Amino acid sequence: MTPVHFAFSSTFMLGLAGLAFHRYHLLSALLCLEGMMLSLFIALSLWTLQLDSTTFSSSPMLLLAFSACEASAGLALLVATARTHGTDRLQSLNLLQC
Amino acid sequence: MNPYIMALLLFGLGLGTTITFASSHWLLAWMGLEINTLAIIPLMAQHHHPRAVEATTKYFLTQATAAAMLLFASTTNAWLTGEWDIQQMSHPLPTTMITLALALKIGLAPMHSWMPEVLQGLDLTTGLILSTWQKLAPFALFLQIHPNNSTILITLGLASTLVGGWGGLNQTQLRKILAYSSIAHLGWMTLVLQFAPSLTLLTLLTYFVMTFSAFLVFKLNKATTVNSLAISWAKTPILTSLAPLILLSLGGLPPLTGFLPKWLILQELTKQGLPLLATFAALTALLSLYFYLRLSYAMTLTMFPNNLAGSAPWRFHSPQLTLPLAVSTATAILTLPLAPAAMALFAP
Repeated sequence: MTPVHFAFSSTFMLGLAGLAFHRYHLLSALLCLEGMMLSLFIALSLWTLQLDSTTFSSSPMLLLAFSACEASAGLALLVATARTHGTDRLQSLNLLQC
Repeated sequence: MNPYIMALLLFGLGLGTTITFASSHWLLAWMGLEINTLAIIPLMAQHHHPRAVEATTKYFLTQATAAAMLLFASTTNAWLTGEWDIQQMSHPLPTTMITLALALKIGLAPMHSWMPEVLQGLDLTTGLILSTWQKLAPFALFLQIHPNNSTILITLGLASTLVGGWGGLNQTQLRKILAYSSIAHLGWMTLVLQFAPSLTLLTLLTYFVMTFSAFLVFKLNKATTVNSLAISWAKTPILTSLAPLILLSLGGLPPLTGFLPKWLILQELTKQGLPLLATFAALTALLSLYFYLRLSYAMTLTMFPNNLAGSAPWRFHSPQLTLPLAVSTATAILTLPLAPAAMALFAP
């Protein structure tokens, strides 16, 4: 395991741990998701740089585009949740438990 | 919803699954999964109801996490072995992570708890898409990675059949029951995945047909709880007598289609020298059978003491097309005699 591999793995794992264990606000969950996607962006960019691969050089941008779409969908859901539930606390998302 | 936007979203659903099917590169497979998720989110939230929005949020969080884990695992695989090909997974660590990520994506047992809640918040059409079409792309990846870690797959599968049977026991909400039935069926598919992937495909196919007809029956009756099924005899008498057969087919009773995959899976497990596992799986199917039987009992075998208002709904004709329901019901009930053909096609 190279230092670069360790670095982006631990970044991703920190983001995942935050998403899994810090369940208070939807916004923080979305931020953790974005952090995970950015660590993947770094991983893909460094992979491309390390191998000097031309064919693979568009993949970080594709990843970034998709993660931006995902983040915007998440923010739209944040707005929708704020409108229907009045708050973005994940604790209030409890209508469906029965 | 605007029909153009609806067409665009349905096109996106088809496109995502097709991209995942056609890809041999992990990044492209991940992009297909993301397109799938992003296309179904507006469909789920289209009614702006608090429950629909909540279900959409939960679905978005789980699917985004699963997709990110999938891409992380494949990136790790690329850093460890230098390989992006889906079929060339050799390192055990990324393979296990991908198995877990896909399990989260389709809702296998330890990661299942989003599935009943999300399905409960949706209307029946979107729920049908969620529990059938959305499973295709993850299963295409599952079938391609040849997971060789037998312990984790057997644990996931057995836990899914158990939880799927157990969770549905206490439910009166039809959509939650269907979600638990979905979890149980996915558990059966996972059990046999490493021994005979073609049987997984056969199980997926029969599960699609049976779930399709079950959802359409409930949709035709506009029923979301067990109680509202009880007056379905006044709306659609013939369908009411056929619906228990569909439900028992989902449960896997012998003369019906649902018996075929369970039969073949039990035979395969026994052939692989796992008779204990086969016994446990067959016993957990009894749990599922109990709630299917309860649904049939409430729907057909009792006649509730209704007042006049209770039997009025037969006057309204549903505008829903009945041809797909007729075809899928016939397929979901009667195809067991095709077992030799299915075995020749799927289990060479």
